Amino acid sequence: MSSGNASSVLGLFDTADALMEAIPQVKAKNLGRLEAYTPYPIHGIDDALGLRRSPLGGMVLVMGILGAITAFVFQFWVSAVDYPIITGGKAPWSWEAFIPIIFEVTVLFATFTAGLGMLLLLNRLPLFGHPVLASDAIKAITRDRFALSIEAEGEGFDAAAAQAALAAAGATGIEVLIEPDRDPFLTSDYILRAAGGIFVSCVVAGLIMYGAVKLFPVLPPMSHMEDQPKLAAQKADPFFKDGFGMQEPVPGTVARGYLPLGVSSQEEAAALVNPLPTTPAVLAEGKRLFHIRCELCHGPLANGTPTLTAAYGAKPANLQSEQIRNYPDGKIFWVITMGKNAMPSHAADLTVDQRWAIVHYVRALQRAQNATDADVKAAEAR
Amino acid sequence: MSQSSGTTTFLRGTLLLGAIGVGAAYLKASPERFWANWLLWFVLLFTVALGALFIVALEHLVNAKWSVPIRRIPERIATLLIPACLTGLLAIGALPVLFPGTRPEALHDKLLAGKAFWLSLPFVSLRAVIAFALVLMGLAVLVGGSLKQDRTKDPAFTIRARKFAPAFMAIFAFVITLVAFDWISGLTPAWYSDIFGVYLFAGAFLGGLAATALAVLHLKDEHRLEGVRRDHLYNLGGFLFAFTVFWSYIAFAQYLLMWYANLPDEVIYFKTRLTGGWFALTILLAVLHFVMPFFALVTRDAKGDGARLRKVAVLMLAAHMLDIYWLIFPILPGGPHVSWPELGFALFFLSFSLLWVRGALEKGEDMPVGDPFLQEGLEFRL
Repeated sequence: MSSGNASSVLGLFDTADALMEAIPQVKAKNLGRLEAYTPYPIHGIDDALGLRRSPLGGMVLVMGILGAITAFVFQFWVSAVDYPIITGGKAPWSWEAFIPIIFEVTVLFATFTAGLGMLLLLNRLPLFGHPVLASDAIKAITRDRFALSIEAEGEGFDAAAAQAALAAAGATGIEVLIEPDRDPFLTSDYILRAAGGIFVSCVVAGLIMYGAVKLFPVLPPMSHMEDQPKLAAQKADPFFKDGFGMQEPVPGTVARGYLPLGVSSQEEAAALVNPLPTTPAVLAEGKRLFHIRCELCHGPLANGTPTLTAAYGAKPANLQSEQIRNYPDGKIFWVITMGKNAMPSHAADLTVDQRWAIVHYVRALQRAQNATDADVKAAEAR
Repeated sequence: MSQSSGTTTFLRGTLLLGAIGVGAAYLKASPERFWANWLLWFVLLFTVALGALFIVALEHLVNAKWSVPIRRIPERIATLLIPACLTGLLAIGALPVLFPGTRPEALHDKLLAGKAFWLSLPFVSLRAVIAFALVLMGLAVLVGGSLKQDRTKDPAFTIRARKFAPAFMAIFAFVITLVAFDWISGLTPAWYSDIFGVYLFAGAFLGGLAATALAVLHLKDEHRLEGVRRDHLYNLGGFLFAFTVFWSYIAFAQYLLMWYANLPDEVIYFKTRLTGGWFALTILLAVLHFVMPFFALVTRDAKGDGARLRKVAVLMLAAHMLDIYWLIFPILPGGPHVSWPELGFALFFLSFSLLWVRGALEKGEDMPVGDPFLQEGLEFRL
């Protein structure tokens, strides 16, 4: 026992029952605040020591509600006020979409309050400088003994009376704990201040960033998707020697699927022969593609629907006309490939085989609309 | 006892009155209305009883000691499964009336044709019979064995029950999902929700808990549960509180996803319930099933407070009734129906359940006296 102020007087007890019996006896003497140290929790010791109700529940409730309000207000401000965007066809202030975040932030605020509030605010942990840690009794307390201490708080603490009271209550060992002579290096105050400082700096940094972007829109918006290290058509690119992103084909080569037709006018194209057989599959494919690509203008029967004429004044060709019925396949193929008059080229949308399939289907339509007796008999015979 | 027999006479009177109401509903009300009511009370009886059996199985599953002294009460409530299964067998009569999937025209409905076999009357009935047989088997093993243990004092049952409990949990999950999908979701076969079984489970567990809490408090008033303390009540209250939040979580998650996706055959389910008179009931359901019990039980004192718990348990049972009503009745045309058929059914089935549970509680021991963990359960402290 060195000199210095007594911080508390500690009495050791052999059993939990002895401790529980001693508490009311010592408490009656009213010498100072009581504190108990036990190796495991003891039922009913809170009431015996007369500990005040923990305010933690109330703190958690308040912070939880605050979290809910924060989440709601922030989301409402972001999605409905500051930068309203329609997402998924929902109104910007759809409360349903806010609920998951409100729930999470409520839980976040509440659990942080519960955890940190309990450890830092109420229990003032960590207590590295607590005198009981330096006591002789600490080994016994953390193993199988139970301690009761009378805390010296304020003036007029009578250490002798406290020792006598503990001895009278049946303590098997008594120790006077001395106030530590240096400050503990890490206290709850320090942690709370540091955490608070970090929090405030984050909020301030966020506000400054928001204000800077809002008031001085010098920062480019995020465009990472556009900055791709790839060759782009119509763009300069240092990858090739000539500095063009788009290159001429190598002489003497043909790109896969782009075999040249070998003809350069509709008249020459008349010589082309449809390479596809007239199977039901080809006709079905031709019908499907005709429906997608041709029907809108030429009509389902290919006779030049007046719909577009009425709406836009366009006059799509009547494919049932004498002239076109007498066209060889190759000429129709040429028109699909190159376009004619107001009709655009479909070469980019349809492969060569798809174009030929459409030609077959157009032939079928023409024959169906101009059926001969022989055709009718053949159809009936099937 | 005279007061108790007076109550019994009163309940018999209301039972008779309710029976007249049910009979009159069969003769005078439309068959849809009659069977909707029947279905409502089948699901209510079944879920509350199965929820009680779940509490029993849960204790065995996790080796809980605290609930041993009150285990007899959920065991007694779980015997309601016997009349509930009978009601369920009779509810097969509702299939051709209320369930579109059992009608012959279902085969021509694009949405139903694919699941026509699953929704057909014989297969639904077969599944119901299998489900009932499974839960009655669970009842026989868990409750029958426990009652036998009162006489034999043989700890072998406790070991057997603990081995059986995991298997029962699988059965429970299967049956509650089946009941949810077949008997409630089947009313609107175009609508489907994967989480619906879990939703009904949350409601069933809450119903079973509320009924258990009410019966425990009733027996405590009659001084038949000596040794059951505030600590036991606190656990019941904690469970009620936790699963109120769980139910709300599931209910809202189900709504949120469908609201986001906005698919016509899904949102129609909520559209019906968010228009007209049903809108008021939806709000009422949220208030009764979540807001009120949540704030009633949120503090630590409230969870162990018998008077508070009794009110919340009654509220919870009412909310569970409203929940199932809200699930089933919107299939009837016109707004919410509450008139003499509903009152007759409610009188009949409520009086019947009360008489049944009271009768069951009068028999035998009030605590599982043969359970080796009974003493440990009585010594339970928070």
